[in-house]
Amino acid sequence: MLKLQGIRAGYGRIEVLHGIECTVGDGEIVTVVGANGAGKSTLLKTVSGILGIWSGTIELGSTAIHKKSVERIASLGVVQIPEGRQLFGPLTVEENLELGGYAKRRSGRKAHAKLEEVYELFPRLRERRRQQAGTLSGGEQQMLAIGRALMAEPRVLLLDEPSMGLAPLIVKEIFTILGELNQRGLGMLLVEQDARLALSLAHRGLVLERGTVVLEDTGQALLNNPDVQAIYFGQHGGRRDSRTESA
Amino acid sequence: MTFEQLLQYVASGLTNGSIYALTALGFTLIYNATDIINFAQGEFVMLGGLSAVSLHEAGAPLPVAFAGAVLTVTVVGILFELLAIRPLLRSGVLTQIIVTVGASLAFRTGALMIWGRDARPLPSFSGETPVRLLGATFNRQTIWVFGLTLVIVVALQLFYRRTLTGKAVRACSINPMAARLMGVSYSRVVLLSFAVSAAISAAGGVMITPASFMSYASGSLIGLKGFAAAILGGLGNPLGAVIGGLLLGIIEALSVGLLPGGSSGYKDGVAFLILVLVLFARPQGLMGGRIVDKA
Repeated sequence: MLKLQGIRAGYGRIEVLHGIECTVGDGEIVTVVGANGAGKSTLLKTVSGILGIWSGTIELGSTAIHKKSVERIASLGVVQIPEGRQLFGPLTVEENLELGGYAKRRSGRKAHAKLEEVYELFPRLRERRRQQAGTLSGGEQQMLAIGRALMAEPRVLLLDEPSMGLAPLIVKEIFTILGELNQRGLGMLLVEQDARLALSLAHRGLVLERGTVVLEDTGQALLNNPDVQAIYFGQHGGRRDSRTESA
Repeated sequence: MTFEQLLQYVASGLTNGSIYALTALGFTLIYNATDIINFAQGEFVMLGGLSAVSLHEAGAPLPVAFAGAVLTVTVVGILFELLAIRPLLRSGVLTQIIVTVGASLAFRTGALMIWGRDARPLPSFSGETPVRLLGATFNRQTIWVFGLTLVIVVALQLFYRRTLTGKAVRACSINPMAARLMGVSYSRVVLLSFAVSAAISAAGGVMITPASFMSYASGSLIGLKGFAAAILGGLGNPLGAVIGGLLLGIIEALSVGLLPGGSSGYKDGVAFLILVLVLFARPQGLMGGRIVDKA
């Protein structure tokens, strides 16, 4: 339902993405793996409208969204959980969630029902509903970021490095929840440096190298692909490898 | 100084202080949404007062003149944002701040052409007979000014704390891009901030005119004192702005009573002395506020 065609984009005069093709079907999880600087986050930014594209098209269903504003794209149901979570730290957990549902403009009972839905998924957020978001632990913050996005009733969720800065156990918990959400039919475009984990969750995966898709296959096939294993699965996942590579 | 005199000074301080508080609040709303210091803020106060004078002279009863003046200046604030601030979004905050300085001169000149040089009065909201309270006599206008200011501050608090739109405005001041990713239109939040900021400053202008008249040139001093109040309270903190404003008004009034000669000649200097002291000793202001390190 989300379809990217021939996406070229960049910063200033530097082209970062050189003609990306990518689709995310209904209820599908598509993972983009790649080293630091391959253009993964840049790709997500073009979808959510933070970064304008130089050429190509991005369609949601039959609607072209690549010329629309960030807030309009969000209202249409393409909801990004940005890198580093970007919570409203001084606001309470509940206020963050309410703002997540801003585009829906719910009120009264409906707003309450949606909040309850998210609290059922993340009981810990209910306990901390009156607490400032900035005081939560990293894992709780990521849960809040996901919960906030769910408030918008997304058609497609864009996730940028959901494992960043989290302990392995928490990461597992987060990915379990993402899997559950997908079971309920939510489509996702997932960018993640922990390639093994991300691909095991994904229906399909793309391997991005210097702004070009060099490989596309099912998640399972990519997991078993020796080239992918060699480059992106270190002993501890892809992240540390890419760090040492660049160092 | 007797207790009764002290009360008297405090009362007169609260009158002016309320106006500084509303002006400081106006600065704060725009600053939080955009990082712009709006040097035309005082002009909104002046335009509010003088618009009310004209409407009242044209035969409008006081409450209607009040509402009409606030509405007029709100429209001015909206046009100001649309025509002068928005087109410069890409040029950066500093350029926008310089534009507000230019706009303040333009507003003042415009007011000079419309209303002339003379300071213009407005009748008190409910007669001139003073009220006796706690052994001191209070001007009725003092009670109006202070009371209405409280109403405005509480109403604004409710708006920003309880409504989804208000929360969206706060979200934008924390992280505009994250707010946009939730579907919040940042440009509308900025427009709303200019509108509300203009409205409350105009209300302050209408309220102070019966007590101290209003001329085309009155805005700049009120604006600078409002700015000093915002700094005193902690730039970016709405509650700090209100407290800073009231405190500044009271200190100013007491300085008239305490300084030798009992003249009000030093009065206007006090605000700036405080401004300088705060910037030296406690740049984040009384209530903390945001750390200003964005430059």
